[in-house]
Amino acid sequence: MSRIRPGVLRIFRLPLRTVDHARDDADAELDTFLQERIDDLVRRGLSPEAAREQALARLGGSSGDARSALRRSAERRERHKRFREVVDELKEDVRFAWRQGMKAPAFTVVAVLTLALSIGANTAIFSVVHRLLLAPLPYPNGDRIVMPMQDGDPPLRLAAAPALVHEWRARTHTLSALAGASEFLFSVRPDGTVDTLPAAAITANFLPTLGVRPSVGRGFLSEEERADGQYAVALISHALWQRAYGGGTDVLGKTVTFEGRPLVIVGVTPPSLSIPLWRTPAPDLWLPATLEQASTGGSGALDPGPSVFALLGRGRSAESATAELQAIAASELDSVPREERVNGSAPVRVMRAQDLLSARERRVVQVLFAAVGALLLIACANLANLLLARAWARQREFAVRGALGAGRARIARQVLTESVSVALTGGLLGVGVAWLALRVIVALRPPTLDQLADVRLDHAVLLWCLGLSIVTGVLFGSAPALFAGAQSAGDVLRRESRWGSHGRTSGRVRSGLIVLEIAVSLVLLLGSGLLVRSFSELQRIRLGFEPRGLVYTDVLLGGGPFRDRRIAMRDAIVERLRALPGVTGVAVGVMPSKGYFSMGGLDAETDSAGHTTRIPTLGTVFITPDYFRVARIALVDGRLPDSSVAWPGGGPLGMSPEVLVNRELARRVWRRGRAIGARLREAPDGFPAGRAPTRWSTVVGVVDDVRMPDVRGDRAALQVYSLIPPRLGDVPFLVRTSMSADAAAPLVKHAIASAHPALFVRPTLSGDTYLRNGLAPTRFAMTLISAFAALALLLATIGLYSVIAYGVRQRTREIGVRVALGADPSAVLRLVIMGGVRLAGAGLVIGLGIALTAMRVIESMLYGVSSADPRTFGAGMLFVAAIALVASYVPARRALRIDPAESLRTE
Amino acid sequence: MALLKGTLDVLVLKALSWGPMHGFEITSWLEERSGGRIDVVDAALLQALHRMEERGLVVAAWGVTKNARRARYYQLTKSGRATLRAESAALVDHVAALTTILTARTAES
Repeated sequence: MSRIRPGVLRIFRLPLRTVDHARDDADAELDTFLQERIDDLVRRGLSPEAAREQALARLGGSSGDARSALRRSAERRERHKRFREVVDELKEDVRFAWRQGMKAPAFTVVAVLTLALSIGANTAIFSVVHRLLLAPLPYPNGDRIVMPMQDGDPPLRLAAAPALVHEWRARTHTLSALAGASEFLFSVRPDGTVDTLPAAAITANFLPTLGVRPSVGRGFLSEEERADGQYAVALISHALWQRAYGGGTDVLGKTVTFEGRPLVIVGVTPPSLSIPLWRTPAPDLWLPATLEQASTGGSGALDPGPSVFALLGRGRSAESATAELQAIAASELDSVPREERVNGSAPVRVMRAQDLLSARERRVVQVLFAAVGALLLIACANLANLLLARAWARQREFAVRGALGAGRARIARQVLTESVSVALTGGLLGVGVAWLALRVIVALRPPTLDQLADVRLDHAVLLWCLGLSIVTGVLFGSAPALFAGAQSAGDVLRRESRWGSHGRTSGRVRSGLIVLEIAVSLVLLLGSGLLVRSFSELQRIRLGFEPRGLVYTDVLLGGGPFRDRRIAMRDAIVERLRALPGVTGVAVGVMPSKGYFSMGGLDAETDSAGHTTRIPTLGTVFITPDYFRVARIALVDGRLPDSSVAWPGGGPLGMSPEVLVNRELARRVWRRGRAIGARLREAPDGFPAGRAPTRWSTVVGVVDDVRMPDVRGDRAALQVYSLIPPRLGDVPFLVRTSMSADAAAPLVKHAIASAHPALFVRPTLSGDTYLRNGLAPTRFAMTLISAFAALALLLATIGLYSVIAYGVRQRTREIGVRVALGADPSAVLRLVIMGGVRLAGAGLVIGLGIALTAMRVIESMLYGVSSADPRTFGAGMLFVAAIALVASYVPARRALRIDPAESLRTE
Repeated sequence: MALLKGTLDVLVLKALSWGPMHGFEITSWLEERSGGRIDVVDAALLQALHRMEERGLVVAAWGVTKNARRARYYQLTKSGRATLRAESAALVDHVAALTTILTARTAES
């Protein structure tokens, strides 16, 4: 009988068996057992037949059952042991990898830091992609929420007739819910201070459609929806609950005063709940309204989001919903009275949140994603390079392990385990880097990507980071792993020299990787260069007005106490604003180039014979004559309008009898821009040229064009300036101050609010902020891409340096021999540098080729510079070439210092 | 006598604490020691061995029996030894408790 000591058993474990073997083993074991039993029974005096019978009987159950049960348990045992074996090996590999890492601290630190930075950057940008493109609506039903909107670029808020919306809700099969929301502002004065809080009217099913529940209390009931604004109940925001009610649950049943009515608070919405995709502040007060009221109401904010939200039925697509709603609209068209039909009648389109991101914003995100991907690629190439160099130095170790019986696959797996362990460590640190990078991204976010305010590292992002780390580790570890496995042990061990000759394949792979690194970092550098040029070009745009020191806000003199006192109220506000310290001018009018009333088309007289031309779209800005002085817009021709000319009785929003046009409009419509004295009038849709039922106005002056720095181009909008109609309820005010506009803004707000207790004051906009916001998208892309390009260039430089330096070390003997034989030091210098220059040159050529195509992708993000700008390209290539020279020169100098005698003795 | 539920494993471990054995040796050892009072179902014993090998309580190696047959010899591992110590202590304690209860004199006796 065999006796094996336990320790020995541990080392020479039974080889793992396949499942078939396990069955055979089980059978053999059972047979032996039965035989032993029979022998035993025979020894005790039973006949062989009787013994066999009893042995089988003692098995318990039939022998077939026993056999198959044993086979099963043996199979399970083998599978389990096999799994444990793999885990044990992995543990061993990781422990070994850890020891290897500790043995080469410099390499490990460089590798981990490189990976932390590049995986961190990737994770940060991925969370941006995730927030904007993959899961833009952070609600439980986020992936099924869609918005019916008027098709167009950009898509417009739904303007369907109430009857049609009602019909949609009644007949749809693709949508399982249709909810509405509209915002407005209301003023409160809880403690003597004036504040304007955002409020929203929502349908009762709004919260269930998003899939969220009130944190306290209940949501609205459908019988609480009002069509007439006579609300009785309200929800308040989490923020208002904390601020004004101390966060106590006794808030339910208390009242909040809205337009003089006490509303009963029935619930509190979850923290930071806002209306999806609206850039207006999160509402503090929520009121229940019918779908018709909620989807058509609202005070017409300058940048409104969708007003109707729908929940796609499971398995339905936005496209099928679009088709269905359009079909219902077509069938309903006949029954809808003509005047209630959709204005302009752009077809409805059901959009997902990610569809609402404009093409250019989407492009910015994609380009950033591609840029960090390129960065990671460079990091991988660099680390593969360093590992290949190390694998070369470690080939003896691999050979010894191979000779001791480790298979090629086993050694390759060991090398991969090392690289994946390094990558996971880098990824872990990368989470910290990503967190920091996200702070920067949030701070830099342009207003067009304001959703990024709440971007965070959620579990989807962390999972992605983990996956990326593993893939990265496999990617940069696979070349060295193949190399490590491929060396024949005998060859390596027989070799006398410690350095031997440079592995040919390995050398070629390393050179290829460096060429790739240089090419990719050149592309990134050129991208960043083009964006920097665009940014400086944007700052040089002639704005046509002076935004610094301007404060703009608008005031709703809509109804109620102001109906008959609008002009008096307006004058009173202007007087109060003028009295503010530092204010040098006050006028009615919007922030130049910020917004205007779109009036559809305009007919303009082009000659004295009465010929007219139709201008399809343009903006009308309502002003007082002071506007141009306050905004510092130059009067180019003619004079300012006379406000004493009697206002005709026309439409409530009609143009004044005397108007101004901007230079661009004058240039396009009249010969040599001679607009003075010409007449124009509004031309609502649907009326043929020359037959519009509106009054003529006379152009009395031409003013300069105004622009904002915007990559969309510097073409000025066509604009008409009209005196503000007396009955216009939404009055914009523009204030010029000698203080900083940001400091003056609160004073302006307070001055307006103190003019009358019932005034609604919108948030103010300072010219400085406006200018900053205009530059923000370019600054955002430029800063991030430049950071990535700098990092990429740094990595490529390190990579090139290490390859050249390593080459010098490998050729120590050759160089020593050359020097000993009397080679000119400059020839040695040239020899080494040329090696670097060749690699850099190849990288530059390939990079240039890629860049010429790739830069077309960012064309829409550029301003004032071509995507193949020769100056930028030339400078970028020179810069990379210079860096390559430096990276080659330093090791070349070291080569010169090689002592020939010493180098020959190293053998 | 049929075995109490859950005691087979600890008995097998106890048998193996005397040295490596194959399946039949274990069952003979148990019969001998119990004076024939313990009767193990053979298939159950072999399955228990597989299960304990899976859990790492025993390791197995092929060896040759006295009758010149190939058999799987089982041997205790370190964790098997630890399990034996813990489980047998618990079992002894349990049995002592049962004994106290079952042998206590009742009121009428």
